[in-house]
Amino acid sequence: MFDTKKLQVPIPAHLEIPEGGVVESPKPDGEQDQFPSGGWRILRSVIDQERCTKCLTCWLACPEPCIELAEDRSVSIDLKYCKGCGCCANVCPVQCISRVPESDFKGDVEFMDEPF
Amino acid sequence: MPKKFIPGLAAAANAAVQADVDVISSYPIRPYTGLMIQLSQAVANGDLDAEFVHGEGEHGQLAIVHGASLAGARTMTGSSGVGVTYPMEVYSPISGDRCPVQMVIADRTLDPPGDFGQEHTDALSTKDQGWLLGWASLPQEVYDNTLIYYRVGEDPKVLLPQMNCHDGYFVSHIANWVNIGEQSQVDEFLPPYKAQRPLDPLRPVGHGPQIYANQGPALEATRFNAIWGAREVIQQAVKEYNEIFKRDVDPFVELYHMDDAEIAIFIQGCHAHTCKYAIDDLRKEGVKIGMVRPKWIRPFPSPEVAEALSKCKAVGVVETNNSFGASGYAGQLTPEVCAALVKGAVKVDKVPQVASFMAGLGGHPVKIEQFKFMAEILAKGAKGQFDKPTYWVDLECEVEM
Repeated sequence: MFDTKKLQVPIPAHLEIPEGGVVESPKPDGEQDQFPSGGWRILRSVIDQERCTKCLTCWLACPEPCIELAEDRSVSIDLKYCKGCGCCANVCPVQCISRVPESDFKGDVEFMDEPF
Repeated sequence: MPKKFIPGLAAAANAAVQADVDVISSYPIRPYTGLMIQLSQAVANGDLDAEFVHGEGEHGQLAIVHGASLAGARTMTGSSGVGVTYPMEVYSPISGDRCPVQMVIADRTLDPPGDFGQEHTDALSTKDQGWLLGWASLPQEVYDNTLIYYRVGEDPKVLLPQMNCHDGYFVSHIANWVNIGEQSQVDEFLPPYKAQRPLDPLRPVGHGPQIYANQGPALEATRFNAIWGAREVIQQAVKEYNEIFKRDVDPFVELYHMDDAEIAIFIQGCHAHTCKYAIDDLRKEGVKIGMVRPKWIRPFPSPEVAEALSKCKAVGVVETNNSFGASGYAGQLTPEVCAALVKGAVKVDKVPQVASFMAGLGGHPVKIEQFKFMAEILAKGAKGQFDKPTYWVDLECEVEM
């Protein structure tokens, strides 16, 4: 009878990847550094820090998560990875997050080339 | 060991309670709903300590167990018919993220038209999503499979989700005697699930990342290796199951009178038991007929199927499913059987004649007379050639119900 063990595909060492492509300990300048998605953004969320009540609703709602939390609970946006989905602006109970076209900021963020 | 007179879904629920599942997600569709009725009662009565979550539809239902499994939970879900095809998008991410979710499918005809009857197309349409997919033919087997599939899927060498399928109504809702193991036996057989990289705020990991195109082949090869490597794990798990539960479960295929069979019926699911009665009758008349029933569709038991069928002159593949326009001029199983017989590494001296029998569609029972009708056609095929590739048994051999 054919032994299905013979089917096992050897994977070259330089292409080895963990099961499911899982990325251990994502962190700034870590493994995910090579996949910035900020370049996908068309509208940028801008937080009015004076009106922000630090309720952290946006921090919970961000699907990425790209809302960065400071020690004083003030929030900012990680522009390297934020795709500009706008969930934060949508959930903000005091509407202190506005959506501004990315073209208005030309030059202030180094735009990464997308991997694809 | 207690014996209960219960239908298939109650058998699955009994096994899930004993397996101490952590998260259950449901969305109603008949016939599989019986499973969730039992499990929600078990949670309400305090017999099972689990989160019971309702999806907003089957797509959300599968996404719930996907997330729960990533967090390290043993999960149970299920569906039937169009409820199996609606979450199609979520199946590959679950197997791609290597989450050993278990889904019970009590199969049902796809729409249109509305039909509550059983047909295998719903479950078989998920066979290319990287899940282990097996089929039970009796409530007892549903119970066995529920425990065995968790054990196999959660094995660190496998880490794949499992489709625990059986025939809707015929198995899901008709009671039969089921040996229920003692809790101590279940605990011995099935250790708690330990996720390798669970979602944990203290040890953050990212699942389902974007990859570069050159990482694709290696990532897909790991799933290929896992599902074929699962065969060894299945063999070992079934061996231990038989030892612990004092049972005699076949790991890959059920063979019936195949030792000297010249013609054979390849059939999946509950109608195999009717087929065996027909074979008993035919054997008394001197017809050398046998039966092969696959217990797995993924990984397909190709070596066992090839070995069993290669000795025959003619093989009839019973298709209780559709794949309109498929290469075998019938359903989804004919190409699988033919590939197992002719594909390279397996040595088959003379490939048998193969015909397909469309039977049991729409929940139509397949009767003993209809199996005898198939045997007549096979006997003619064994002498030379079939007069056509596919016979619609339900229509060509009408019997009174």
